[in-house]
Amino acid sequence: MRKFWVIFVASISILLPFLCNSFSPEIPTDRRVLVLLDDLAIKSSHSSYFNSLKSRGFDLDFKLADDPKIALQRYGQYLYDALILFCPSVERFGGSIDVASIINFVDSGHDLIVAADVNASDLIREVATECGVDFDEDPSAMVIDHIRYAVSETEGDHTLIASDDLIKSDVILGSKKITAPVLFQGIGHSLNPVNSLVLKVLSTSPSAYSANPKSKLSTPPSLMGSEISLVSVVQARNNARILISGSLSMISNRFFRSGVQKAGSTTKHEKSGNEQFFTELSKWVFHERGHLKAVNVKHHKVGETDEPALYRINDELVYSLEIYEWSGSSWEPYVADNVQVQFYMMSPYVLKTLSNDKKGLYSTSFKVPDVYGVFQFKVEYQKLGYTSLSLAKQIPVRPYRHNEYERFIPTAYPYYGAAFSTMAGFFIFSFVHLYNK
Amino acid sequence: MGRTSSKEDAGALFHSLRSAYAATPVNLKIIDLYVGFAIFTALIQVVYMAIVGSFPFNSFLSGVLSCFGTAVLAVCLRIQVNKENKEFKDLPPERAFADFVLCNLVLHLVIMNFLG
Repeated sequence: MRKFWVIFVASISILLPFLCNSFSPEIPTDRRVLVLLDDLAIKSSHSSYFNSLKSRGFDLDFKLADDPKIALQRYGQYLYDALILFCPSVERFGGSIDVASIINFVDSGHDLIVAADVNASDLIREVATECGVDFDEDPSAMVIDHIRYAVSETEGDHTLIASDDLIKSDVILGSKKITAPVLFQGIGHSLNPVNSLVLKVLSTSPSAYSANPKSKLSTPPSLMGSEISLVSVVQARNNARILISGSLSMISNRFFRSGVQKAGSTTKHEKSGNEQFFTELSKWVFHERGHLKAVNVKHHKVGETDEPALYRINDELVYSLEIYEWSGSSWEPYVADNVQVQFYMMSPYVLKTLSNDKKGLYSTSFKVPDVYGVFQFKVEYQKLGYTSLSLAKQIPVRPYRHNEYERFIPTAYPYYGAAFSTMAGFFIFSFVHLYNK
Repeated sequence: MGRTSSKEDAGALFHSLRSAYAATPVNLKIIDLYVGFAIFTALIQVVYMAIVGSFPFNSFLSGVLSCFGTAVLAVCLRIQVNKENKEFKDLPPERAFADFVLCNLVLHLVIMNFLG
């Protein structure tokens, strides 16, 4: 009996570290992903994409969107690190999931992929609107482009679009250029131009518009040209990443494998750019790329090593920090030449670019300005596709003590001389006056 | 009014002042010399400030005030010591000198503090 207990306790203590296998600040890549589907046929028709995710180490949990047993969290803890919604026509989620719980999931820092399609339900549209993306209000509208459509032998309504208007960002789309156009067939959405967090990843040519392909166009379409975005990403202020695509079929095996030929051009690409586009994009969304962390913020006076509690005006100080980028499996030093630090009190008194030593250590030195007060060392780094770094460290700055001023001011030497010569003159004069006969 | 020009009047005035001044006693002339030295030092400082700027203004004020202050005190001494002055007939000159010395001491103490 005793031996049994010993074995039991030993096995628990050995297994316990392996039970904590989830998203954490040390390992930012998501692990467990909940995939909600309209019907399970999507699991096989999009198997190429799911297999690429599984091969990168993700645990995919496939569930029907109206399954009554699905839940994102239990007892206050989230069960998954990311959510994929491949259910464009779901009217109501099952279990304890609804729009509010999805938004809370994202607000707590988790990632989301939403794919809509033709006849997307109001629920999916609402989720997208909460994320900052507005789908076309007409439920049967699709994106049509009569000039830049993809040549295919069957469909003639030009809803299959071949687009190569991709966002120019190596972080989001990978360093290898996507040479073949990306096929798209679905609904378009528009972004609020004031919103700085949402980015158009795949957009259309100016000749595209969003309308119902089966009916005649009676009024001008609501979305036209460059307003339309086909695939967008949102990076929230808490660095959660959301991908919103207007077409579920562009992720299917059929589109991944098909060749593409743009109308009006003779080059026929063997394979569309969809697979590379989505694989790279999901690497970015799931924090395998472009995730930064800043650690070891240090500041001290030039020549010393420990951090003082406050500085004096006109001190020389050194500020340094280390920035690392997650490469998918380890933290690599992040190398950039545009990280800046501000010495800020209501407005930046000093703004300096940090110089790095190529191993992730950024440092600079500057002179404290001639103003006293409570300052902050602020680093606000927002680069397209990277997590935003927002660091602030408060430090007071005191004025000179009464004995830290210059003792003898050279400009004032004539005045010192005049005062002393007056005293000497007075002394001599008093003698002369007294002993004068 | 008169046929003499203003230039001749100025010359005559100057000569009469000079001859009157030559008649003053020596100790008063010494006091006058001291006052002139103090004012001259003050003027040099003012010219210097006009050139360089008033950066340590407290030092400038202290230097100039020491000169003007001691000049004023010397003038007071001269008034009290002058035998032709009816008002101070009964004042012993030693008393006047003692006042002068004490006031100068206070003045220079203040100046040293304000000099920075």
